[in-house]
Amino acid sequence: MEFLIEQILNGISTGSVYAIVAVGMTMIFGVLRAINFAHGEYYMLGTFGGWYAISALGVPYPVAIVIGVAVTAAIAFVIGRLVMERMIGAAPEASVVATLGVSLVLQNSVILAFGGSYKFFSEGYIEPVFFGDIGIAQQRLLIIGLCILVFAGLEWMVSHTRIGKAMRAVSQNTEACAVVGIDVRTVVIATFVLGTSLAAFSGILTAPVNVSVYGSMGEIITFKTLPIIVMGGLGNVRGTFIAAMILGIAESFVAGQFGLQYRDSVGFVTLILMLLWRPHGLFSSHARF
Amino acid sequence: MNLTEPYQSDGARGVQPLRLVLVLGLALVALCAPLVLGTYAVHAAVIAMIFLLPAHGLNLLVGYTGMLSLAQAAFFGLGAYTSALMSIHLGTSFPVNFAGAALMAAIVAVPLGIPALRLRTTSFVMCTLGFVIIGQAISKNWISVTRGDMGLSNIDKPTFRLLGASVEVAGPVQTYYLALAIGALATGVFWLLVRSPAGRNLVAIRENETLAESLGVPTWKYRLAAFVIAAAFAGAGGSLYVHYISVASPLMFQTIYTTTMLIIVLGGGAGSITGVVFGAFLFVGLSEGLRVTPELRMIAYGLCLLLLVFKFPKGFAPLLQKLWDRAGGITRKEGSA
Repeated sequence: MEFLIEQILNGISTGSVYAIVAVGMTMIFGVLRAINFAHGEYYMLGTFGGWYAISALGVPYPVAIVIGVAVTAAIAFVIGRLVMERMIGAAPEASVVATLGVSLVLQNSVILAFGGSYKFFSEGYIEPVFFGDIGIAQQRLLIIGLCILVFAGLEWMVSHTRIGKAMRAVSQNTEACAVVGIDVRTVVIATFVLGTSLAAFSGILTAPVNVSVYGSMGEIITFKTLPIIVMGGLGNVRGTFIAAMILGIAESFVAGQFGLQYRDSVGFVTLILMLLWRPHGLFSSHARF
Repeated sequence: MNLTEPYQSDGARGVQPLRLVLVLGLALVALCAPLVLGTYAVHAAVIAMIFLLPAHGLNLLVGYTGMLSLAQAAFFGLGAYTSALMSIHLGTSFPVNFAGAALMAAIVAVPLGIPALRLRTTSFVMCTLGFVIIGQAISKNWISVTRGDMGLSNIDKPTFRLLGASVEVAGPVQTYYLALAIGALATGVFWLLVRSPAGRNLVAIRENETLAESLGVPTWKYRLAAFVIAAAFAGAGGSLYVHYISVASPLMFQTIYTTTMLIIVLGGGAGSITGVVFGAFLFVGLSEGLRVTPELRMIAYGLCLLLLVFKFPKGFAPLLQKLWDRAGGITRKEGSA
């Protein structure tokens, strides 16, 4: 029983990590209609930023989070202006190829700059806390708590702030936005920087749990996030949250029951099964993309 | 991004002398190249001609039918493993393994294609990417057959058996001629395929699926057939690859294989046979040339992809077409070529 609850808790914390990454990707899809194949690389950039701040500048963990997110946001802004902006109104194939290109450039630039070896992420709150017999690392609880905060914040933002409403408007109809005077490019860049910053935030939050930091770590995150956002219904924030939790818990069970090596294929197997049964996603009634 | 040109008839009639010279010249260059080039360049040319096979398949999907599939790498890996296992356990000769790999890829493509082809655009891309990820998971975890991460090694060089005699194709130069023969054959088959009425129907599906259906083209059958044929091409390429490098491992399902095939087809020019042949040599050459610095090689690849999307969305095909037109004595108005 304890084992079961521990697995569920671990699943929820993994799901929270995925949820924070995936929500950024799905929002970017919403405004651009483009799949961001480079999304995991921003997760990697954030982690590297945090790792560098800790190991080279010696700052405490909370400051490292801020530095990592800020560095990633700056890089994302440049890429947004150079690449993502041009994706407005482009064919889906173009975005696949362009973001694959961005992913190769980012990943290998980092490997070129810092070397391909594994780095050790030493900070964070990894001591376990116990509820009866059930132990869970403090960091995992922190991740779950922050995930809830992020989603509450996003819900508030899209319903109460000007930029949030503009994001929703752009994801519904780009042309109508231009007619009523919403600057589509600004909204796209803002959404892109916000989405990638969330990925970076998630990366630094997970680093103490995963411990190792390496240049190609983003790829696996991209491959986990892709099925989540398709299952959640592309552009659907709440659907993404639920799909991420389902995948986190499912992975935790598969790793516990069948072995760790099968964990990484759970996402795509689930996705393909779902596409057979409901080609339009779990939470929408008709096919959109 | 419009990946392809609308279909246009050539306009040239009969044999054009300048074109004949161009084709014969290129054939001569291809035949004599190993005598002049160093071993490494010959090796790069062999890899280029191997990648030409899955690239033709991808071109059939992207360029002629209008479906962006990332599954070619999965079928390439499947073909490689099939060929390797046949060679190890059955001891069959290369032609049998080659045919077996293509057949296996085609057979597996049917049950995968039926659900996948119901999807459109983004979902289809995701689903085909899923096939690659799952292929990698199987090759890593089905240890009793694939030996997991260790992979299958010491696979025979391509061997031909005829009337009791056995000929082994070893070394880059000999493999070059084998790959050249297979590449030329595959290109010929592909050319016949897309020039046939069936090929025209595929283009019709790309241009407007609903309209094609209304004109009586069984679009569903054609799209499935294109997916299966593309898979067979990829499987055949995987077979040649595995017998050349003599190792099959889960690394074959890495993203870089998918990216290479994509860059060959999009860079060469989707919907153009000469473009894709040209793209295979150019981009594999670039990649092999930069192999000394793997990170820079990947960065160059990434920049190439970005450049292709934004600056040359039609790849090199328009450039080649212009050359070909000039050789045939045809001048087209700007914008219509």
